[in-house]
Amino acid sequence: MPWAKEEDFLDLKGRFKSLEIEVKPTITNLHVSKNELIELLKTLKEEKGYKLFIDHSVVDFPEKSPRFQAFYILYNVDERKRVVVKTWTDGTLPSIEKLWFAGKWAERECYDMFGIIYEGHENLVRAFMWETYQYHPLRKDFPLEGYANEYLPSLNEVLRGDNLQGLMNYDRMHTPVPTLEDLEITERKRLKKKAQLVLNWGPLHPGTHGTMWFLFDLEGERVVQCDVILGQLHRGVEKLAENEMYNQFLVYTDRMDYISALCSNQAWVVAVERLLGIEDLVPEKAKYIRTMMSELQRINSHLLWLGTYALDIGALTIFLYAFKEREKLMDIIEGITGARLTISYPRIGGVRMDLPEGALEVIKAFIKRFPKELKDWETILSRNRIWLRRNVGVGVISKEDVYFYGLTGAVARGSGIPYDIRKFEPYDAYPWVEFDIPVGENGDVYDRYLVRLEEMRQSIRIIEQCVRKLESMPKSAPFFAESPDPKKLKLSLDGIGLKVPEGEIYSSGENPRGELGFYIYSTGGVKPYRVKIRPGSMYNLCVYPKLMKDRVIADAVAVLASLDPVVGEIDR
Amino acid sequence: MEGLLVQLIIIGIKILFILAIVLGLGAYLTLVERKVAAHIQRRPGPMVVGWHGLLQPLADGLKLITKEDIFPRYGNRFLYNLALVLALVPAVLVFAVVPFGPEFEIFGIKIKPILTDVNVGLLLVFALGSMAVYAIALAGWASNSKYALIGSMRKAGIIVSYEVVITFAVMGPIILAGTLSTYEIVQRQIDQKLWYIWLQPIAFVIYMFALLAEAGRVPFDIQEAEAELVTGFTVEYGGIKFGLFPLVEWYVEVLSLSAIGVVLFLGGWSPINIPFVGFVDPLFFLGPLSPFVWFALKVGLLFLFVLWLHWTLPRYRIDQITETAWKVMLPLTFVNLVLTAIIAPIVWR
Repeated sequence: MPWAKEEDFLDLKGRFKSLEIEVKPTITNLHVSKNELIELLKTLKEEKGYKLFIDHSVVDFPEKSPRFQAFYILYNVDERKRVVVKTWTDGTLPSIEKLWFAGKWAERECYDMFGIIYEGHENLVRAFMWETYQYHPLRKDFPLEGYANEYLPSLNEVLRGDNLQGLMNYDRMHTPVPTLEDLEITERKRLKKKAQLVLNWGPLHPGTHGTMWFLFDLEGERVVQCDVILGQLHRGVEKLAENEMYNQFLVYTDRMDYISALCSNQAWVVAVERLLGIEDLVPEKAKYIRTMMSELQRINSHLLWLGTYALDIGALTIFLYAFKEREKLMDIIEGITGARLTISYPRIGGVRMDLPEGALEVIKAFIKRFPKELKDWETILSRNRIWLRRNVGVGVISKEDVYFYGLTGAVARGSGIPYDIRKFEPYDAYPWVEFDIPVGENGDVYDRYLVRLEEMRQSIRIIEQCVRKLESMPKSAPFFAESPDPKKLKLSLDGIGLKVPEGEIYSSGENPRGELGFYIYSTGGVKPYRVKIRPGSMYNLCVYPKLMKDRVIADAVAVLASLDPVVGEIDR
Repeated sequence: MEGLLVQLIIIGIKILFILAIVLGLGAYLTLVERKVAAHIQRRPGPMVVGWHGLLQPLADGLKLITKEDIFPRYGNRFLYNLALVLALVPAVLVFAVVPFGPEFEIFGIKIKPILTDVNVGLLLVFALGSMAVYAIALAGWASNSKYALIGSMRKAGIIVSYEVVITFAVMGPIILAGTLSTYEIVQRQIDQKLWYIWLQPIAFVIYMFALLAEAGRVPFDIQEAEAELVTGFTVEYGGIKFGLFPLVEWYVEVLSLSAIGVVLFLGGWSPINIPFVGFVDPLFFLGPLSPFVWFALKVGLLFLFVLWLHWTLPRYRIDQITETAWKVMLPLTFVNLVLTAIIAPIVWR
């Protein structure tokens, strides 16, 4: 476990009177009072090397006073240590936007979801909901069905009057939905017009890869400033998590980053297993299967990225080449798991079912021919002069920016920081397989492209090793964990009755789009008390307005595609 | 009087012939493009309507014609429609000076297969080519859409830069031929037993670049750049009006510029050329039809080359395109022009 030790912070005890260090096997907490928070974070960042911002949010305890417990998760990349800083508040917190820009976005989200006011925040606007929305949905006293106070009759009711019978006769009072005026107010709040024209890029635009809404303030074609309006795909996954059992929440992880469902599943399952302390009980076969499947999914996801990225830059043909191979992968995944997009194949304690007959042969055939295809595409793109001119030197992210903006995944690696959870905090079969982490040099769009291509090759390497290992295992090897004491810990495929002891954990997996982390706060029982999801895409996207400054619109697609966000994960 | 009537009838037939060829071919080139693209992308392409999708262009046309004609609110309806006319007419008019073959005799009447052999034919071609700017600028402006406006500004920027380049690029062949008449240029190449591509390779390459830019083909298709601007200046057009713009831009213009390119550099209707020695005609068995087939073959090859590029390359950025035009291509054409102007009179006559 990569958590910081108590002795790392003993020297800070003298400087911070309220500092308390709490070390648990699943987490290391630094409790500090609110007025010393910023000072402690600054010390951690500048003196202790905890430079990478991972996540920030709060946990709501309505019956306690002060009511909210805020946590800040930080990472030390050089020493591979993670630490959580915690403080209590009743509704206001100092803003950390000077320390980490990513904190700014996290704070917006907290303001939106919990109503925390951040002192010193430059532009405190709602992250996902529209500006005129009055409630804070993640507070514990917000009812799951929302407040039904808006009169919204259905079309049938408008046309036919009150004569509707039975199920057709819905309640006409609904939770508020944004109107056009609401959206206009939201839009105005984002951007103070500085230049010639404001271009609404999205929410429905082929270049935004989803329902993202960008506002470009343009001087000719040059972007003077840029802002993002999120929330078109917000479904309240974190609220749902608090009201679902651990295994039931698995299906929502599919729907977050829907392009890499298996990786998200794996990250969630591993997080819960670690919280339960049964990581070692999971049979080897299940671990290898999970690793192999999520690497297949990684290739699948990177293929979608490559296709759409090339399409954005105008190379239409690569799109179809990539999708052809992706289709084969989808067929393999469908054959093994029964689903193509939302897969839910792993389970807490193993996988749902054993590999079917012949699955390994199909995978072997795929990994044999896939590198050749990859080489073909590289021949078309990598040394192409137009490709180079569109990519090299565009959207440069420096190493400092990676920490400042909390970037992870291929984006961080493209800038030369070998931050890969698979190596830093290995889960499942990753400690037993051999692979390299490709890193870039300049941190531009082209480096990120090369890093992702190389990652596909490394994934092939991992799959090869997994297949070899799985072939050598007997057919009857178990694929699901056996509970040591079924009375205390009930492990089953459907996961009903799985009680998780009190505790908290932050655990993350390396998704194709960056680190997908789950902060789980459990007060015991079958449901988590609070789940904070750390979306890699969202923090990767927060560097976008900075990268787009003084670039032209044509670069907007290249830079955005190289960050590779998926809106399902950003908005949750 | 009788002579005039015959002349008028002949001209009428020529006009009908050219219109039928250009517009009919333009429509069918969509099928060619889709098939070529499909095979480059390892898929069959249109297969359902007719044998191997042969009736697909008709189905597409029918669909586009029967679609609702939508007009954007607060747009300028007059300019909106005028843009269409301004796009279509000059592009088709260019074919008035394209020579399809040598003079032939039928029923005792000598016919040149060119609509009007004006002595400033090339000048006319480039004058008409510049007219395209108006169509695009108007289309972008009248649509009342920011995307359309940005798209049209990009395209106007490209056309303005590449009109200059293309004009200087064709100066070389003009000096060699000593005439501006398209028919005469081909005739000179046949007389001198030389395609001008052998003496003007730089001009030819630059001409091809400019062709791609003017016709909005990859790698210069930024005016439509679907990932950035959806479809650029045509974004507010619907139905057949939307269909006409790509038809004009991608097919009629490519066709006309390829034809002019063949006339200038590839010896028009002449068969394969061995420089300074003569011509080899493997299609001699076609008799008098052979020159026409050669002409169509060359234009077709250039068109396929354009398609091949279109479905392989990524696209440039607007600043890179104009930079290339002004900083690289224009100086190159100047060098070419000066060298040709100095050397040609010494060696040529």
